[in-house]
Amino acid sequence: MKKNLIYVLMAAGLVQLSSCAKENFVNPVPTNVISDLTAFDSKDRIEGQVRSIYASIKNAGMYGGRYQIFNDIRGGDFMNDRTNVVTGFDVWNYTPSNSSTNSVQNHWSRAYYVINLSNVFLDGMAAKGTAVVGATISNNYQAEARLLRAMSYYSLLQLYARPFWDGNGSKPGVPLRLKGNTGSDNYALARATVAEVYTQILADLNFAETNLPTTNSSAINNTTRAHRNTAIALKTRVYLSMRRYADVITEANKIVSANAPFTATSGVAHALQSDVTNVFKAPYTTTESIFSMPFASNEAPGGQNQLGYYYGPAAFNGGNGEYSLLSTGIVSNAGWKTTDRRRAMVGVYGGKSYLTKYSVPSIFTDYAPVIRYAEVLLNLAEARVRSTNTVDAQAIALLNAVRGRSDASTVFTAADFANSDALANAILTERRIELLGEGLAGTDLTRLGLPLPAKPGVAAIAATAQQYIWPISSSELLLNPLCTDN
Amino acid sequence: MRKLAVFLTCALLFVAQAYAQTARTVTGKVTDDKGAPLSGVTVSAVGANKNALTDNGGNFSIQVTEKVRTLRISYVGFDSKDVSINGLSSVNVGLSQEDKSLSEVVVVGYGTQKRKDLTGSVASVKGEALANKPTQSFEQALGGRAAGVQVVIPSGVLNAPPVLRIRGTNSISLSSYPLIVVDGVAVFTGDGSSTSAAGNVLSSINPNDIESVDVAKDAAATAIYGSRAANGVLFITTKKGKPGRSKVTVDSWVGISNPQRLQKVLDAQQYTDYKNEALRNAGTFNAATNAFATTLGADGKIINTNWADIVYRQGIQHSNTISLSGANESTNYYFSAGYTEQQGIIRRNDFKRLSLLMNIDHKAGKFFTMGGKIQYTSDQNTAATSSGSLGDAFATAGMGRVALITAPNVGPYLADGSYNRVNNLIGVMGNKLGQVGFYNPQIALDLNRSNSYGEHFISNVYAQFKPTNWLAIRTQYGLDYLMVDNDFFSHPISGEGFATTGSATAIFNKNKRWVWTTTAQFDKVFAEKHTVSALVGIEHQKSDNNSYGLNRVTVSDPAFTNIQGGWATPNTSGLGIGENYLYSEFARAQYNYNRKYFLTANVRRDGASQLGANSKYGTFWGVSASWDVLTEKFIQNMKLDQVFSSLRLRASYGKVGNIGGLGNFASLSSYSSGLYGGFATVAYGQAGNPNLTWETSKKTDVGLNFGLFNDRLTAEIGYYNSNNDGLLLFVPQPPSAGLPSNIPTNIGSMYNRGFEFDIKYNVVQKKDFSWSTSFNLSTNDNKVLSLAPGINNIISSTGGLENPSITLPGYPIGMLFVTRTAGVDPATGRRIFINNQGRQVFFQHVAPSGQARFMYADGTTAPTVSSADAIVYKNTNAKIFGGWENNLRFKNFELNALFTYQMGNWLYYGTQAGLRDQRFWNNEVGVLNRWQKPGDVTEFPKPVFGDNVSNGSAFPLDINVFKGDFVKLRTLTVGYNLPKTLLDKAKISNARFYVSGNNLLIITKYPGPDPEVSSNGNGTTNFGIDRNTVANQRTITIGLNVGF
Repeated sequence: MKKNLIYVLMAAGLVQLSSCAKENFVNPVPTNVISDLTAFDSKDRIEGQVRSIYASIKNAGMYGGRYQIFNDIRGGDFMNDRTNVVTGFDVWNYTPSNSSTNSVQNHWSRAYYVINLSNVFLDGMAAKGTAVVGATISNNYQAEARLLRAMSYYSLLQLYARPFWDGNGSKPGVPLRLKGNTGSDNYALARATVAEVYTQILADLNFAETNLPTTNSSAINNTTRAHRNTAIALKTRVYLSMRRYADVITEANKIVSANAPFTATSGVAHALQSDVTNVFKAPYTTTESIFSMPFASNEAPGGQNQLGYYYGPAAFNGGNGEYSLLSTGIVSNAGWKTTDRRRAMVGVYGGKSYLTKYSVPSIFTDYAPVIRYAEVLLNLAEARVRSTNTVDAQAIALLNAVRGRSDASTVFTAADFANSDALANAILTERRIELLGEGLAGTDLTRLGLPLPAKPGVAAIAATAQQYIWPISSSELLLNPLCTDN
Repeated sequence: MRKLAVFLTCALLFVAQAYAQTARTVTGKVTDDKGAPLSGVTVSAVGANKNALTDNGGNFSIQVTEKVRTLRISYVGFDSKDVSINGLSSVNVGLSQEDKSLSEVVVVGYGTQKRKDLTGSVASVKGEALANKPTQSFEQALGGRAAGVQVVIPSGVLNAPPVLRIRGTNSISLSSYPLIVVDGVAVFTGDGSSTSAAGNVLSSINPNDIESVDVAKDAAATAIYGSRAANGVLFITTKKGKPGRSKVTVDSWVGISNPQRLQKVLDAQQYTDYKNEALRNAGTFNAATNAFATTLGADGKIINTNWADIVYRQGIQHSNTISLSGANESTNYYFSAGYTEQQGIIRRNDFKRLSLLMNIDHKAGKFFTMGGKIQYTSDQNTAATSSGSLGDAFATAGMGRVALITAPNVGPYLADGSYNRVNNLIGVMGNKLGQVGFYNPQIALDLNRSNSYGEHFISNVYAQFKPTNWLAIRTQYGLDYLMVDNDFFSHPISGEGFATTGSATAIFNKNKRWVWTTTAQFDKVFAEKHTVSALVGIEHQKSDNNSYGLNRVTVSDPAFTNIQGGWATPNTSGLGIGENYLYSEFARAQYNYNRKYFLTANVRRDGASQLGANSKYGTFWGVSASWDVLTEKFIQNMKLDQVFSSLRLRASYGKVGNIGGLGNFASLSSYSSGLYGGFATVAYGQAGNPNLTWETSKKTDVGLNFGLFNDRLTAEIGYYNSNNDGLLLFVPQPPSAGLPSNIPTNIGSMYNRGFEFDIKYNVVQKKDFSWSTSFNLSTNDNKVLSLAPGINNIISSTGGLENPSITLPGYPIGMLFVTRTAGVDPATGRRIFINNQGRQVFFQHVAPSGQARFMYADGTTAPTVSSADAIVYKNTNAKIFGGWENNLRFKNFELNALFTYQMGNWLYYGTQAGLRDQRFWNNEVGVLNRWQKPGDVTEFPKPVFGDNVSNGSAFPLDINVFKGDFVKLRTLTVGYNLPKTLLDKAKISNARFYVSGNNLLIITKYPGPDPEVSSNGNGTTNFGIDRNTVANQRTITIGLNVGF
């Protein structure tokens, strides 16, 4: 029996030898990510977070390409040649459904991801970050985050909400979220009105204007990171969407000199480039590009998000030629002369015209333009016409500035316009030519209440029609019981 | 250091045990009950630890001490016998063949047990049933062979991990795949390949090396594996040497396989005419600029391509295994080498495996046993490009898809012999359209690669110290190293590589696991009637993963076809690093009273690194009992023992867990890095949960086993009920909450209930003729009870593009979620949908002026119908499944037939939506019955070019849902054993030839190629989907087994 006891003790001893969990194995620390507990511990990490908001508004096809494309193809200047819903066939023919993954669902969730990143960042700065980087830099960073949040909300309103003119902003907008979300919670929230969301967008842009640096350190940072004039330029777009033309003029005048050549006299010296094609070539950082999304071979736009892939035919840049220029669209405009420098960004391949503004072959690393000085000039011109209801002289001068730099042979005079509507329409036409493929066609229709145009096999959509705006993401409707569909 | 200490302790004790003895010699002969000598029989001196083996004539000679009174004669397959040698120097012993049902041993985790003593539910499948099959991995052949075990081969792509379920789907977000334990080591499972060639890591085990597979199903049998046991445990035991003369076996087979039941699509002329009609119906036909047209080939005939002929082929396979095994009193060994090459039915989809296995056990002296195994496998899984069957249902040029939808009026080559392509797309030839197909599959099949090469080691070494007959201390160190090289190349002229001017990627994936297990086992019988055994143990399991790779695009010269050549970009690819660790303490206690009442309790405490900081440790347990009814006096008084030859009742209950498939750092909130404008970013990328813990499964099991006619008929009837709580859900928040990821939360609940029946009957057992049959049937009733508050359902996607699956409380997991239709309007040929108001909505793709695309019957405009109008439609989980096996032997001929069946499930045949899509896609021949004029009654709407809504491409429709019931003749084998007389002349012990067919027959009403399919592989909430899946193959093999 004594021997037995020894055996049992020995067995127990052996088992004991190999026992005890190894603590460092039980609590492993990942080596390729940073813990949430230390994310606001240093200036580098904090600035890295600011950049991550930019990267997110750029990535996965938001302002890095898809948002522009969605708005381009809602207009009447592009022809869908691929009938592929992944690349916007349903957007083009005005039939996206609540569950359309690649348009309705994805843009919704991406925009809100950016909004939440901004909110989490703003919360983190208040709790800890400001103490780390100091008040001045903190305000700079917060201004950037709020500007990007405003851009996200603005993009949502353009696609998922009735335009501001319909009921003066009283129609349902989108859920307005201003607090960072990090864990499980009850996130049911009803849609704010269009006006409420615009109010927040303007509050964010005003904060940004006040707190952003007047200029960043380099040409690339002046193009890819926000500065004071970025906020002002965006405000001209936002006010134009709201038809608050007087405010467009007020804002634009801050960065557009009274007389030609029109330039920004404070902050970054925005000006038109003498050759418009240079704006779309490396390094993409002229003073005309107020804000663009940068790409590089190690910072790729990702599959089926790239402007060059959609608009460039294979024979041009190896693109997929998803959309050619519709033969009945702006490409056939008689006033757009063959000698116009902007015709250099249209090519004919296999009998079809294509937009060749984005020329870098795969992996299509052209910067995606967000807002350009030319747009600000045209925003101002249009606002002057519409606020004065006259054939406004400065509007003509601004129109000529944009037209003239690419087509010196065309000079508009007051005599060319029977009335203010004719001038306004000329400005709109100029926008279609100048900003073709830069994501303004759709919003230029909806802000004015114009029908979405008929296209081959697709009937026009009246401004009052349900299809005039996108439906709400079906995932949102399922998971947010307070959210209503369009 | 600790390991060394263990060995030293054991060694010291061994030395101390020597003592003196006086010897005498006893000789004798051992024969079977017919008098034939038995060689290799173990003759041991009881009480003296002295053994001898009989020679070829059955003779033995053994030296024993004076105090030895008894010899124990034991031989595998025979009942052991104790023989008294009191005063005898010579004894002759006759052994009788043992009753197999009594001796059958099953693996129970850290030990084995006699089947008769089992209190849990364990099904066993013998290695022979899995060997020599045209499969890549053993579990592909498990289907139909054991009650409660369901196996679905997801597609015809070689070596895809089968969908393997024990007693239903037990998890929603985590894995429902059982734990696989090979020779005591829990091994990696799943698809180890990152490429389009599937690489089931279990295919590293040569099925011919498997002795048995024991399937532990209930909590009693699985609780010893605690936090990993909820999905059941499969114990794989590889072969060991058997006592007797050393034996050499050779197993070889060759086979051919073909695709079967492929869909019939339009030929060139039919396609051209039909699509032109659709263009006319859309109002966009223009003979010069917008029309389909055939093209004449060089032979003057219309080019008419059946793309299935380009994509599919007849595959040839062969497999060869040679083994050497044997054992003597101190050592047993098994050594095998296997090589197999298998061609899939998709061109360029091949599987090759070289496997080596060595198992060895050596008894060094009285107390000490050492042994181990070394298994090395090198496997190659190769493919040209995506098959569209491994979760990438919508891969642009998935082989299953392009075979169906590419225009038949164009060919793979132009007249000059060059590839027919325009940039990335297949050229349109005579068609006056921009696009009539996606990529030209011929180019990818000729030039691209998507290969994975694995090097896999599964090895262990153990030492066991058994100082007395009631105590055994064992320590085992096992390892599972899996190294996978993934190799991609897309040629710049292929559709896949065109946009990037070629692309080459290499990703190396390194997985290393070690498992160190130490156990002590006690076995003792007290007062003859009380049998007690107990096990305690400790186990550490550490796994590390590290993967890295390079993606290069824009090739400088087409001569470069791997990452080493001249390329423009050196981007990273496939980066990943992680680790996990499981620390466990476990124990088992067993007691039986007079072999009448059996009790077992298991307990295990696990700590897992993946879990939240607040909840890393958990305790799991199972208790069970069984009762041998026939041993009771009152039963004997009722004369029931004259009806039943055996009768046992068992019951168990326990709580086990599941963490399978949980991410290494799933519980943490973290920020990940990236770039913006060339500068570093730190982005909030994962929302974690510090309370994240295992899923819990509370399992009840009751069973009745009985035998009739002296156990010629045996049957088992069981009932199980698994209540799964705390199911991990990556709880989707409203997208507008903007969270970077869905937060893993233990919140859902679900049950699986069902009955299992298993009957085996030896119908005829004669010298020249025998017939045995076995039948099993399992039922499964799965129901999701709750998800998360505020989460009404989980919608699951297929291929990231459509959402045909929904999981919600009150229904089985993974219901089909489709929009309803009501046929085709005979007056106008429009598709009729039923919207979520229950109203009929008529759809026309191109609306004449004054009409809308979506209209009510009264002509008013209706809201757009979409998946927002979908309803919860049909169940995808089989309610009944099982198998029926027959073994017939007539003289030297034998026949084995296995039927498998399944009932009560529905499938979403999404492929059909593509086959009826009205874009340029080719269509099934059924569309020839389309609506053409008012009054036509047909299921095919008026074709309007561009219409992707009417037939289900834009969102899933009920017209593409079908019953999945089937009966399959899974395998049919006819064999012939060479007669003994011939064998003796050739000096070989056995030789058998056979012809075998796999998947010879499918009886089903399912319209697709095969109802046993899963586009989403082992996905739990998106099961039952057949979207562009490659059909399964039918294989015929001939083979040979020889033993020397």
